[in-house]
This record gives sequence, C-alpha cells and structure tokens, in this order.
Amino acid sequence: MLDNLVIGMAGSGGDGIVSAGETLVAAAATEGYYGIMTKSFGSQIRGGESSCRVRISSGPVLNPGGTLDVAVALNWPDFLKFGAELPVGGNTVVIYEAKSGVTADKIPIVGVTPAEVVAVPFGELAKKMGGTDKAKNTVVLGLLAGWFDVARETLIKNVAKKLAKKGPEVVAAAERAFNAGVAYAAEHPLKSDMRMAPPKDGRGTKILTDGNDMCAAAAIFAGCRFFGGYPITPSTEVMQYLSREIWKYGGAVLQAEDEIAGVGAAVGASFAGVKSMTATSGPGMSLKTEMIGLASIAELPLVVVNVQRGGPSTGMPTKPEQADLFQACFSAHGDGPRPVLAPTTVADTFGMTVEAFNIAEEYQTPVILLSDQEIGQRKEACTPVDTAKYKVVERLRPTPAELEDYTRFRFTDTGVSPVSQPGMLGGNYLAAGIEHNEKGDPTASGAMHGKMNDKRHKKLVPLVHRRDLFHVEGDPAAPLALISWGSTAGVCREALAIARRRGISAKLLVPYLLFPVAEEVYHEFFIGVKAGLVVELSHQGQLYRLLRMYVDVPRGIRSMCRSGAAPYLPEDVVRELRAATLGLQGETAETRQPQE
Amino acid sequence: MTTTRGIDFAHLSLKDALDLAVLVEEEAQERYDEFTHQMKTHDTPEAASFFAFMSRNEKKHGDELRARRLELFGDAPRSVERAMIFDIEAPDYDQARAFMSARQALTAALASETKAHAFFVAALPAIQDPKVKALFAELRDEEIEHQKLVQAELAKLPPSEDLGDAFADEPVAH
Amino acid sequence: MSNALPVVDKKFEPKDFKSDLKPIWCPGCGDFGVLQSLYRALAAIGRPAHEIAFVSGIGCSSRIPGYTTAYGFNTVHGRALPIAQGIKIANPSLLVLCAGGDGDGFSIGGGHVAHAVRRNIDLTYIVMDNQIYGLTKGQLSPTSPRGLKTVTSSLGSLEDPVNPLLYVLGYGASFVAQGTAADLPGLAAIIEEGIRFPGFAFINVQSPCVTYGEDEWQIKEQRARMKSLESLGHDPKDQLHAMDLARAYGKELYTGVFYRNPAPSPTYDQLVLERQKEKGASAPDPARVLDSLIQR
Repeated sequence: MLDNLVIGMAGSGGDGIVSAGETLVAAAATEGYYGIMTKSFGSQIRGGESSCRVRISSGPVLNPGGTLDVAVALNWPDFLKFGAELPVGGNTVVIYEAKSGVTADKIPIVGVTPAEVVAVPFGELAKKMGGTDKAKNTVVLGLLAGWFDVARETLIKNVAKKLAKKGPEVVAAAERAFNAGVAYAAEHPLKSDMRMAPPKDGRGTKILTDGNDMCAAAAIFAGCRFFGGYPITPSTEVMQYLSREIWKYGGAVLQAEDEIAGVGAAVGASFAGVKSMTATSGPGMSLKTEMIGLASIAELPLVVVNVQRGGPSTGMPTKPEQADLFQACFSAHGDGPRPVLAPTTVADTFGMTVEAFNIAEEYQTPVILLSDQEIGQRKEACTPVDTAKYKVVERLRPTPAELEDYTRFRFTDTGVSPVSQPGMLGGNYLAAGIEHNEKGDPTASGAMHGKMNDKRHKKLVPLVHRRDLFHVEGDPAAPLALISWGSTAGVCREALAIARRRGISAKLLVPYLLFPVAEEVYHEFFIGVKAGLVVELSHQGQLYRLLRMYVDVPRGIRSMCRSGAAPYLPEDVVRELRAATLGLQGETAETRQPQE
Repeated sequence: MTTTRGIDFAHLSLKDALDLAVLVEEEAQERYDEFTHQMKTHDTPEAASFFAFMSRNEKKHGDELRARRLELFGDAPRSVERAMIFDIEAPDYDQARAFMSARQALTAALASETKAHAFFVAALPAIQDPKVKALFAELRDEEIEHQKLVQAELAKLPPSEDLGDAFADEPVAH
Repeated sequence: MSNALPVVDKKFEPKDFKSDLKPIWCPGCGDFGVLQSLYRALAAIGRPAHEIAFVSGIGCSSRIPGYTTAYGFNTVHGRALPIAQGIKIANPSLLVLCAGGDGDGFSIGGGHVAHAVRRNIDLTYIVMDNQIYGLTKGQLSPTSPRGLKTVTSSLGSLEDPVNPLLYVLGYGASFVAQGTAADLPGLAAIIEEGIRFPGFAFINVQSPCVTYGEDEWQIKEQRARMKSLESLGHDPKDQLHAMDLARAYGKELYTGVFYRNPAPSPTYDQLVLERQKEKGASAPDPARVLDSLIQR
C-alpha cells in the first residue's frame, strides 16, 4: 500500500486532463487525503497543450513531488512538451493512449526504463461507453480509481455533480465512461500493487484551495476591507476571490485602470483608515514601485502581494520563478525600507498574509508578500487553518489627549507614532511623498531628513528578532545546511527527509521574513556549518547574493540556483547535497556558482 | 477684483454696514500679511516692510470700526459675513512679484485704496438709511486719506529704477 | 481677539480652512487666488475640515492641500486621482477634493481622468492649468500652445496642446467647468457648485505662472478677455453646445459651467455602499472565512 502517489498527466486542452486532475484532487481531499495539484499550460488561451501533476498523500505534503509514480499521456507530442516538469523514472508506471500506435517498448522517453508501460484505448473506451471520445478524461479517472484505489465513490459522485447541469444523459454517459475505466483496470491489473493506503483522517477534514484564494481569504480574516488591483497572471485570482467575497464584510474591490491606480487606490484607502491590499506579478510590481515608496515615507500600512512569475518583462506569465527578491527588497529610490515576507505552501500562505497585514499595521509600512506562481495557483488539500491561532493587529491611533495637539510623525522610542485618519477631529495633517517634519509639514532640512530616515528604519528593527518567522528543521548540529525560501522551501523539506533516509544529516533554514535581513538568525544558524546550499529558482541566486550582502556566509555555502519555469525536484536537491558532503571531506563540490 | 455677493445695500442696517466695514479692513489686513510673508519668503525686504506697515494700518482702521460697532450694538448677532465681499480693499494677488521694489509695492497699495474708494462710491447711491449713508461717505473719504498717506510714502522714496529680478539668481527647480 | 465681532449665525468662515503653513508659490502666482477661492467655497459648503480629504499630485499647484486645514495628501506625480478614489471608496462620507497641475492631470496622470469620470465617483478635481512646468523651471506642458518656446522646446514646440475641457467632456463627464484666477468670486462659486455636484466634477482653472508664463501680466489680460458662459446664454444642460464651446480652449477664455448633467449616473461610492449593505446583510464571521473551502 502506498502513502504517497504522484500522477502527472498531459494532453491537449480539449482533452480535459486538467479538469480530471481537479476532480481527482478534490475527491481525494473529500475522503481525507492531503494533496497538491499543479497545472501547466502552453501559451494558447484555449486548446494548447496542458498538463497537471496531482500528488495524493496520507500525510501532509509540502511540494508537488519529484519523479512521477504515474505518467498519463493522452498524446505523446503534448506530454513531451512538458519535459522536466513531468519526469519519468525507473519507478514510473506510464499509461498512454493506445491509438497513438506507439508500442510499449518504443515510447518516446529516452534514457529511462519505466517500471511498467501500459497502452490504454482511452478514446475508444470513451466512445464506446460514453458515446463520445471527449469523455476520455473520465475514463482516465475510472482507471486511476481502479488501479490506485483512490476515492472511487467520491470521484463518480463528483463527476456526476459537475455534469449535472448538462442533463441526465450526459451524466449517465460519464458514469458509463468512468465505470469503463474502473473495469479496464480490473481486467488489466498492474504488475505491482499500487493501491493507496486509506487516509489517516476522516472525510471532510480537509480544505482544498490555491495560494491565491488562501491569500484573499486570509486578507479578509486580517481585516482587509479594500483591494485595488489590475488583472495580471498569475495573481488575478486574489482579486477575483475578493470581488466575490469582500462586500459581505463591508469591504470593496476596485478593478483599476492600471497597476499604478490599483495600488494608488489602496494607498488612499489606507490613508482613510482602511486596511488595504493590492496583488500583482512582476510587470505590475515594477509599475507599483513608486507607490510603495510613497507608502513608506507617508508611513501608511499597505500589503502588496507579488505572485512571482518568470521575468524580466513579460517573461513567463504562467511559470514560477523566485527572481523578484531583489526587486522586493530594493526597488525604490531612496532608503525606503519595507518588510518582505514569503509563504512556502498554500497552507502557510494564510499565516503569512495575516502576518503581512499585522506588520503593515503595527509598523505603518508597506509590506511585500512574495508568493509565486506555484503556490498561488496550485491546489492544495490540507487541514483547515485554525484561525483562532492568529491575532489581528490594528494600527496605533491617537488618544483624545494626543489629538489635542496632534503630531503625526512624532518621534517615539519605537519609531511608531499614532496615525489619525480623515474624519477624526483634531487629527488633521498633511501626508506627503515629500520629506516632512514631525508635524507633517514639508521640509528641505537634511537633519530632519536624516531623523525621519532613522524613524522609518528603526521601527522595523524588532522584526529581525522575530524567531517565529524563521524555521529551522532537520539535525540542528549538522555541518551541512540548506537555506531555501518560497515554494522551493517545500522541495528542500522533502529533500531533507530523503537525504536523512539515505544517511545524509543536514539542517534547513526557511526564512519567512526575507527583508530586513535577520543577520543574527543566520549567524546563529551558520554556527558549526561547513558546507551547504542556498536553493532558489533564480538565475542570479538572489537570496544567496542578498545573504552575502548582510551576513558572514561560510565559504562552504554555495548557491544552487537556476532560472524558473520548472520547479526543482527534491531529487535535484538531494543530489547537490550529496555533492556538498564531498566538500565536507575536503573535496571539490561541483555545485554551480551563480553566473555573474 | 472687487465683488460683493448677497449684499442688499438698499436695506443695509448700520450694524451690518459697520460689520461689513470691519470685514473689509480684515480682508485687507490679511492680504497684506500674506504679501508681507510672500516678500519675506522671496527675499524682497523693502516691499515686505511696506506691506507690514499697510497691514498695521488696516488693523488700526479695523479696530476703530470694531470698537464703534461694539459700543453701538454690543454683541448683537452679526448677519453679514466674509463670503459676501471679495477683494474690496485687499490688493489683488497678481500685484505681488518677487523682487518688487518699494515703489511697486506702494503702487499696488495705492491701487487697492483707489479700488476701495470706488467701492464705496458705487455703493452709496443705493443706500437708503441715512446713518449708513453717512458711514459709507465717511469710509469713502477715509480712502482718500489713505491714498494720500500712500502717496506721501511714495513721495518719500528716492526716484529709483524698478530693477525687478535683473540681478537676482535664476529661479530654483524642485 | 478680545474685541472680536460676534460670530455670524453660520458655521464656517474661509479662514477656518486656512492652515498655518505659508505658500511657497512665487508672489503673483494664480494659485494664491485659487486657494482663496477654495477657502470661500469650503466655508460655503460648511463641512468641517476634518471631514475633508484633499489629495494632490506633484507640481507647484499640488502644494495646495498643505495650505488648508483639511486632511491633506500630497502624493506622487500624476496619481492624485487613484489615491483620492481609494479614499472616497474607503470612506464615502468624506468630502474628497483633488487638485494638481496640467502636467499632473493631462500628461503623466492623463490616463486616470477618463476612469474617474466613468465611475462618476463623487469628488471634485481642480486642475490648475498654467500651460507650463513651473516647479522644474519652465518646460513644455501638455497644454502649452503649439510653437511655444521653452527650455525643452527652445525652437518651439511641435505639437498641439491637450484640450482639457474637450477631453473630459468627451470622456462623458457629468460636470465640467472652467474658472480663472482673474475672477476669484466666480471661481469660488464654480468650486462650490462642483463640490455640491453629486459625482465627478472637473474644474479647469486658468492659473497663470508669473515666473515662466509667456506674459507676466496674464491675469490682467485674462480679466480683460474672459467671458462668462452665462452671459453667452449657454445652457449647461446642452452637452453638444458645451463641446462646441470647449473647442475654443486656448483661443477664448470662457468661464462657468460648460456641462452639468441633469441626470448623472449613480456615483461609484454610493453603489459601493449599496452593495455592501445588500451583500453584508448576513455579516459573516471573518474567523470562519475558510469554512466554505472544506471538502465535504
């Protein structure tokens, strides 16, 4: 019995393979499994190649998995286009459309011999039983339910539910197609038993959502009542969710005329006293830069979500990359500090989003939440977040006594001064992008400018002591270290576990707070470390470079980095870790250095 | 540009007329204060001190009128307001210039006094209440006095060229 | 003042809206008059300063919020309108004013105007139009006349100016007016009417630059040639005639209301309130926001 199953499927858009994946992960979640589903597409709006990767597990999962356990190719050309995103290995069961005419010993995958290769007449079964070969995605589901014993009852129920509005005939046809798949599996058993173990938790114990929806829901929980934004892949779902839901909570969404207006409206709403947010991706982030500086100098809370995609420029809108870290930390003229947070999974996107709002409110600052396409758009089945664990912070407002002679930017020990809002009698002040004195009046004094910069930086200092924003995992005494962030951290967590099973002891630091850089945390982590890797999806190795800027990084720590699009697989990291152990023995590690 | 709004001169009471006169002086005083500050900010000290002098004058006139009003009518509610008058005795904003000479400043003030005089002259025919008529005639004549005062100041000035910003630094970009 | 006049039976005086901050504008600048007219208009409107949010962009004219006692926000170049809209949506009970120069409104921030218009969001946008970039020392602006010689067009500009009035009328605005610093009472009345208008009110104000303007005595010149639309017998309900008159921008100086839609669309901010009321009736608990995601 398996505890974990990674299925990769590809076809053309008309095959509905992504829809099948969604049905599968939802049914598994209903039955109590954990799971992750990612999708990947060609560039066509409709009908291009599409694929999905569904990972189902009886325990929590942190990444979409490595080499596939099951590969489903509805046609070979489309499957092959996804290359490294759907890796087939020696333990993979490959299932493909028999109509392709390819014989099992001639499948177009080079260099590996899969565990088993099965040609299935998907189209023919669909046509015969479902009345149309379009039902082949439903045949696939039946087949998977049969061979891997996953969520069979729920699957058929969900398929019926999904098609209910198309009429009883379509539902009946789909049921026949599904059952045909189940029957085919029974008639053609796999060589090895690959049935999934039943879930440890019961039915109805999991939520299923993607990082963007999770972020939006968390924003509502954190008190966000205004969203201004502009559609941009892969972040748009944040706005879509809020445009449905936020009104119920007394909030509003403005789909603005452009990225600048979206964040501008959010800055305005925050000035008016309402917690506000914008979400975007790389190109939009570039446009919003000036407004982030404005929120910084005007000391207004603001949450800016960047669901990173491949860049620069339009880059790769539907693919993940972690190359906006420099931008998040530094894209501003002047010394405008801003905390940068990054979730690592859909599940922890909730906590990080709430944290982003809390930090924004507490320190009256813009906060950048760096998600990425993988987290933002993958579906994750996980245990519901216990919202009671999270507190919600409100900005410091002036007391009636302070309003008697209100000083908006009063110098305080913490650097935080009470902030009023329009409508508050006595709190009237001028917020401005121009440098100002404590009252808020414009100034050209260099001394005042220095003091104000001190204030804006000083108030963020407590953040670097927030140990809860850094997770250290693995063997704390190990001389071998991994540092990783964002979605790649999930890959490293699994790599750590695999390495441990293979006798390699290592530890992993996952920073959820990327900026300001918590120098002490890293220095402490590096005690006793001889070698290791900073793992990230960025050509330059941006986190590695950032750490080198602020931290005494041991010589043995190297950058493991490459451009995004295809996420790292846990095996990739394990391989590099093994190489790094050679470094421990004084031999040369072949870890790639970042290119200049 | 001298304008009034919503003043019914035909039925103006003495109390209203006094209040109005005070408001006219107040407006002029405030404008001269603004001009004084503008001149100080823009390194035009001679004009600044002259405008400050004018402000003090307007305040003095205003105080006298205010005292009369309080003596005659105590704290009876006021029914005229600043929004009813616009630039009666206050110099127009476009009279001010950075680096203006004292002569130019005085000329601007003289134009205001002339303007104020014209206002009272124009208002007089409509007024019916003899006490108000008398007050407005008095104020009209005072403007003549003010004009003389400014003219006297002008005469004191040495004949000078109005150099304006001829020797000044270029304006500064921000 | 010990011997102050008794207060008039009205809540506000213009000086209630005047802050302690002294304008840095060049003496003679048209913006002084705009500011004075605004004080008047606000006194007439009668909302207390703390219920007013006044947003501006960057430029000489954008310093204006600081000279009022309202909550001010002197933002970044060209983005006053989006920020003002965020404020209005976040708190529709506020009186929201927005101001800036012609560069702010029709060059760098030109893209925002059309969208504020189509939302008919209830705020008043005052553009202080001086046909020049003053703060950066006299460069060509979007409303500079063709051929104008400036430091960035030393041989004369090669392009036609934007026609702010015609643009905004063309966007479908429900309130379009023009005033001038040469007629402060008229300007105060226009601003007051714009603020009272239920929706997006656009007011273009001819506010000459004395330092870089073509003619140092433009206000005098404007005073001589301005014509009130009322005196021309223009009916502000007549949108087409308004557009016809607006075509004369740059040639004639018309003052007053070009167009006032007798039946404007509901304002965006009002619709937001209605939607919140309708959808928010169930008042869900934010702590249960994830409940709907549970797979049953």
